[in-house]
Amino acid sequence: MKKEDLITKWLDNNLNSQELEAFKELDDYTELIRLDNAIKRFKPNHFDTDSELEKLNLSLKNRTQKQNNWLKPLLRVAAVITICFGFYYFTSNIDTSIKTEIAQKESISLPDESQVILNAMSTLTYNDNNWDSNRNLDLNGEAYFKVAKGEKFTVNTTSGSISVLGTEFNVKNRDDLFEVICYEGSVKVESELHSKILKPGERFLILDNIFIKDLTVIETNPYWINNESAFKSMPFSQVIAEFERQYNVSIDVNNINTKKLFTGSFGHDNIDVAIKAITIPLNLTFTRNSNKISLKRE
Amino acid sequence: MSKHIYKDICEEFRFQAFYNKHSKDLHNFLYYKFGEQISPKDKTQEAFIKLWENCKKITPEKVKSYLYSTANNLTLNEIAHQKVVLKYTKIKPINYSNESPEFLMEENEYREKLQKAIANLTEPQRVAFLMNRVEGKRFKEIAEILDISTKAVEKRIYGALKKLRKEIDGI
Repeated sequence: MKKEDLITKWLDNNLNSQELEAFKELDDYTELIRLDNAIKRFKPNHFDTDSELEKLNLSLKNRTQKQNNWLKPLLRVAAVITICFGFYYFTSNIDTSIKTEIAQKESISLPDESQVILNAMSTLTYNDNNWDSNRNLDLNGEAYFKVAKGEKFTVNTTSGSISVLGTEFNVKNRDDLFEVICYEGSVKVESELHSKILKPGERFLILDNIFIKDLTVIETNPYWINNESAFKSMPFSQVIAEFERQYNVSIDVNNINTKKLFTGSFGHDNIDVAIKAITIPLNLTFTRNSNKISLKRE
Repeated sequence: MSKHIYKDICEEFRFQAFYNKHSKDLHNFLYYKFGEQISPKDKTQEAFIKLWENCKKITPEKVKSYLYSTANNLTLNEIAHQKVVLKYTKIKPINYSNESPEFLMEENEYREKLQKAIANLTEPQRVAFLMNRVEGKRFKEIAEILDISTKAVEKRIYGALKKLRKEIDGI
């Protein structure tokens, strides 16, 4: 066997006994063994797999903990931001609310210079925030609107909603009554059952859940803003209710038929004149005792 | 290559089994290749940490080569080709009086020559040769670790031996 092959086999620890003898006979034998012994001392440091694995697991754990350390301050910041946003959101969503008492009228300028006149015993609620893009308000009672041109303007009531782009109209939403009168521009009224687009002078009326068609008015703004309540074929009960709202009195109707229709008006300045104005046309008499008025058929 | 029934080694027990099988070889590989000043232990750990962090992205067939090339790159990033120094483990002489100063000096000289010669080997030669000589690994095992053929291992080792002897004895 060639010397080269023997050495290769020796390197591969693959010599059989015969070959080993031959290998020992080589001239290079002593030199090779000396070299080999010396090389064997270039040993790597002892590597203890178990303890190294333990160390590895520890540093892997530390790594995840480090991530937690980094996460904690971030969570704190996130919490503060959340609170700030929450506070902002909460405060910016507080609604502005305006309420009128008996015999009180209130004139309101909305953020876009739209005008609202609120009749007695009414509540108007709106949100300053986003007013430019979202003109939305809630009404309970009666109000007259002069809407500035702009985005869609919506009045929500318990009986339905009125939406316009810019116009003048009156909304009256009382116990059994839902009335919208358009004075300028056009108004879209949507109630649960009925929907109509009003032109100037047209009236939308739901009385005791009955929709009354084809009504018109001739005046260009509601009487009440000039301190007079006017009625056209309205049940007398509505007149009394309005009277009670304008003058702080309670009216005892006894057994008068309050369904009877009334056409006429009463002023808001003088109760003595006003009570006559609503009683005489119906042939009624009244007795007044401070804040109590009792009506009687003649 | 054997087919793997799992799709990654992200399971802790698989990772540990893999560690037990390969960490020592990797450590020694790094030592032979780069010497001791790069602290092969740290590099081994770093490579395994990288492997663990990326375990989802690596298919089982590629895990070993990923590990080796990661360790390799980590080390290369650190060293700007420093001279390879292998530590010569001093064996305490059993009996001082047995060895003459002359003999000791000669031994020292031989050792220094050898150290230099080993440093002068090419990286692949040195790695294969030391795996074979220091650890007594057979050609086939080395071929498996390095992902090369047995013949190539044999060539590298024999070439290394020849080169060493030439440098030391002038043969």
